[in-house]
Amino acid sequence: MEYARKLSEKLSVEQVKIELLNTAYGNGHTFLAKLDPRTLFILYLLFGVMPWFVHNEKILFGMFVFIAAMTLLAKVSPLILVILCLGLLGQGGYYLIASLFFGGDLSIILPLLELTLKLAVISLASITVFCSMDPEKLSNGLLKIGVPGQVTFSIAYGYRMLPSLLEEYHHVFLSFRLRGKAPEKHGFLYWQAIAYFCKIAVLSFYPLLLSMSKRARTTVEALETKGSLYGFNHPEVKKLKLAHMAFGKRDYLFILFFLSYLASLFLLFT
Amino acid sequence: MSQMKKRYQLTQSQKMMVFILSMSLYGLSNMITELVPKAYLGPVEFSIEYFAFIPLTLCILFHPLYAAVGASLGEVIFGEIMLGQFGGFGELEKFIAFSLAMYVAGISVRDPKNKRQVGIAAMTGVIIHQAISAIVDILKVWIGVEELEAVPGLAESIVVIEGFSFLNDVLFSGILFALLPTVYLVPRLYGKIEPLLGMKPRDNSVTYSLRDILGPRLIAGGIFLACLAFLFEFLSESGINLIEWELDVAEAYSEWFIAGSIFIAAVVAGITTMLMIRRHRKPSGSQKKEEVSS
Repeated sequence: MEYARKLSEKLSVEQVKIELLNTAYGNGHTFLAKLDPRTLFILYLLFGVMPWFVHNEKILFGMFVFIAAMTLLAKVSPLILVILCLGLLGQGGYYLIASLFFGGDLSIILPLLELTLKLAVISLASITVFCSMDPEKLSNGLLKIGVPGQVTFSIAYGYRMLPSLLEEYHHVFLSFRLRGKAPEKHGFLYWQAIAYFCKIAVLSFYPLLLSMSKRARTTVEALETKGSLYGFNHPEVKKLKLAHMAFGKRDYLFILFFLSYLASLFLLFT
Repeated sequence: MSQMKKRYQLTQSQKMMVFILSMSLYGLSNMITELVPKAYLGPVEFSIEYFAFIPLTLCILFHPLYAAVGASLGEVIFGEIMLGQFGGFGELEKFIAFSLAMYVAGISVRDPKNKRQVGIAAMTGVIIHQAISAIVDILKVWIGVEELEAVPGLAESIVVIEGFSFLNDVLFSGILFALLPTVYLVPRLYGKIEPLLGMKPRDNSVTYSLRDILGPRLIAGGIFLACLAFLFEFLSESGINLIEWELDVAEAYSEWFIAGSIFIAAVVAGITTMLMIRRHRKPSGSQKKEEVSS
């Protein structure tokens, strides 16, 4: 609980919002961000899927080292890393406790560590790839590999809107707290306070639903006037829109680099 | 009947509005639930699993299909991939199961002002989703993963844990974060939120029998999707074993096999890269860009 309290002190909503915006737009200058989105998709495909099929700890560790270096390069926000670590530790610990509880012994630690390593590689890959693309780049990349235009637009839009939505949600939440009356007693294990907060958290979505639907309408109408809906369904328009995307020398070299890295890992440790 | 059809006749842009709305709101709520700390009581986890009331409300008020798929996509992208919690094939199971559950919940409500109907639909949605995921998780252990058998206690414990988390999710998250908020929100939003998207509210004077809704197509489709969900989840676990089996057959050659194939792959990749670089240089890139800008 002590740890959780410390965490929550650092974790103000303002901070979260800034981190989110940073994730979306702040990393344009890193090496990975200058690559073509498709290169990043290939990277993700390899490091996000392959670990499931690998049982060799050394290879997994090698992959982990590589992807951790990439994460450092991509300057991923610490908040997201913290959430990731908590998630990984939580899941591993959960299975450990559970199987100890039902009469397993400590021999389970090793497979669990392997599993955690696997999950870490996969998660880091997804974080790295996503943080190195701004919403527009992501949506263009997805469009290029054949995802329908409506979906790619929605993804980019959601990506862009999340920080402001979070802020709005926070405002609504605060105004509910301001006008409402908090329970006087905390109750056993703070349950009254928790129940109160949960209630407000749910109620705050009511105004948000209304304002968000207004916003959705404005957005789609703006899209219509720009002719985007026409563009989604016509290949020529799409081609024109995506004409700027091209593999550069950097992309080829990078692909070659991580393929040869993976290959050497397999050669060394099998 | 004609009015029922009218409800589904949304324009392309209206569908997109529903999609965007559902995706961003559910994505936001997922981010919030992800940030809220969980409480553990021994092996048992008390947590806010999800704010299911958002997709439920939207599915009941709008076109269920677009709202359901939008919510699932929002969850996968903002709750999972962006925060690095993506689990590969297993996510497809979640995606399908969740969309299916929300869709069924949305389509089974005839009158959004009728609180009992809304409540039943909300609980149905949660139960379908949780039941599919619990069954999939249990079957996964019973059928697929033999390594876990070697560890004493794990197989039983997973069944118990899954059973408990099913009950926990349905009774705790389900009632607190699906049933109550949905019953509260749907009648209040009905008639208010639709004009904001430029649509008419659902006409509640139309009544159609349960048979119209739960037609054979929906049931068959549901079962098919549930099986598909299971398949993906199973694939995510046993895909590992499949590959291993293959290698067991050729165990003597396996090292050479792997090394050789990787070598070949590397050579092919190298050659392709070289060729592409060369081909890339030939047409002058600047000319292309001028064409675009002009």
